[in-house]
Amino acid sequence: MSLEEIAFLFLALIALVTAAAALLVRELVHTILWIAIFFVDLSAIYFLLDAPFLGVLQLGVYAGAVTVLLLFGIMVTRKRIFAREAATGIGATPMALALVTFIFLVSAVSEFGTSEQPIRYYDPSYLSTNLFQTNGPWLLLLGLIMLASVSGAIYLVREGRE
Amino acid sequence: MTTLVLAGFLVLSAGLLGISLFGILTRRNFILLLISIEIGMNAAILNFVYFGAFAGASTGLTGQAIAVVLIGFAATEIAVGLAIVLALNRLKGSINVAQANELKL
Repeated sequence: MSLEEIAFLFLALIALVTAAAALLVRELVHTILWIAIFFVDLSAIYFLLDAPFLGVLQLGVYAGAVTVLLLFGIMVTRKRIFAREAATGIGATPMALALVTFIFLVSAVSEFGTSEQPIRYYDPSYLSTNLFQTNGPWLLLLGLIMLASVSGAIYLVREGRE
Repeated sequence: MTTLVLAGFLVLSAGLLGISLFGILTRRNFILLLISIEIGMNAAILNFVYFGAFAGASTGLTGQAIAVVLIGFAATEIAVGLAIVLALNRLKGSINVAQANELKL
């Protein structure tokens, strides 16, 4: 087993454990801590996949901005931020549905082959060419959607709205 | 050159999607719901990146480009989600989604 495989197995295990822990702990602030570890772990997986630009973007957008936004959401909606959630049990039906989805997806994995394949390294400068020339319209669409959603968010939370 | 098995990554993102689905179905707190959606979104983005990494040179970078756009979409979604959380908290006094039973916020 090569060093990369050991690193991948380690990172994948951390990702699954932290994602599950984030949804199972009862204090919301602890959830944010687990999810921050999850985002940093995913960024490490991007570095492992030779996509350094995405790794940095994941660190900046998810581990940085989204985590802090969620923390602000908790801080402004409750008086004591360390208050515990009411216990919500693990229902049998949602658990079964999640498991069925997982098994269904894993059963399709064999279609893609289980042999080792090389990971291609792309120079990040080619990514910018691809992003701004080939996929330029998508980036423009992203900008428009961001503008519309931020206007919508301000409309939702503005003062004096009945 | 790094070599890895594609199937391992697929199992990882299937697991993440299962966890995310479980969270969406069971949690009643709006912020936990948003976090569940984010986990599912990350599973999808991960799919794009490693299919791109294993694909040929002509399509490989498109996977990463789509991932960049998707990360932007996810951040936008969190911003709108938190605006809904704040509006819900002001109107109902809590962020329990079971109390958000009217379309009008």
